Amino acid sequence: MDEKRLVKKAQSGDFDAFGQLIEKHKAKIYGLALKMTGNDQDAEDIVSDTLMKAIDNIDQFRGDAAFGSWLYSIALNEARKHLGHEKRKDLKPIEEYLPNKGGDHNHDTADLFDWKDPHELLEQEELRGIIDEAIAELPIIYREAFLLRYFEEMSVKEVAEVLNESEAATKSRILRARVALRDKLSKVFEEQYDKKLREISG
Amino acid sequence: MTKNCEKFLGELSDYVDGEIDPELCAEIEEHLCECENCRIMVDTLKKTVKLCCGEKCEELPKKLDKKLNNMLREKWEKKFSDRS
Repeated sequence: MDEKRLVKKAQSGDFDAFGQLIEKHKAKIYGLALKMTGNDQDAEDIVSDTLMKAIDNIDQFRGDAAFGSWLYSIALNEARKHLGHEKRKDLKPIEEYLPNKGGDHNHDTADLFDWKDPHELLEQEELRGIIDEAIAELPIIYREAFLLRYFEEMSVKEVAEVLNESEAATKSRILRARVALRDKLSKVFEEQYDKKLREISG
Repeated sequence: MTKNCEKFLGELSDYVDGEIDPELCAEIEEHLCECENCRIMVDTLKKTVKLCCGEKCEELPKKLDKKLNNMLREKWEKKFSDRS
């Protein structure tokens, strides 16, 4: 049954139709909430509050956006509530993540650290902790754009729809988040690599 | 890093995702042939997404799923019984 018919049936009181509408989204929303907050309990609360809100407001869903986008918008509002007010912070412009910005540099020599395989450098649990911390350090507006794009595998257009932003602004947030995350991870991996080298050289 | 690296940085993410027009793609590839930094940037941007978003959540923990279903059904019944 197509989404529009399911929505109509749900709006007239059919719980099974509502169940079908949320089925493919609920685990994903839980996963997103877990990534956003880094906390099992918060993720549980966010997914249940989101679905409860969806029941409260199902009559107001007019089908202008996809049902999934509407659900994700609710979920992000709930996630923002759990994350609370963060001090207003922004990411650096992306050019500032480049070493020797604007300088004349020999192309053949790398200034950037080449990660190789981080799994060889760190244990799985330690690596996961570093990744979660790096994600948590991103300001919320960047974190949500990045995770919707790559964790939820939405197109830029879909992310923009969920965030109610222009595609250009959304694209910029996703890029800045990705570059900032890369930079953070790179610093940690380089430190780990140097530490290993020191250990080996005794 | 050169002015060219700065020029391309904003496009490298789209390049990695394969969402770039062919002309710009060719320009970037020409630049990558001669720039080790940008090659590392491309490789590590790719790995960033793989590391941060590689493990998906395919299903809810069973206990939570059951709890949710009960909560949602109860709320649903209340909402629609209040109406009738």
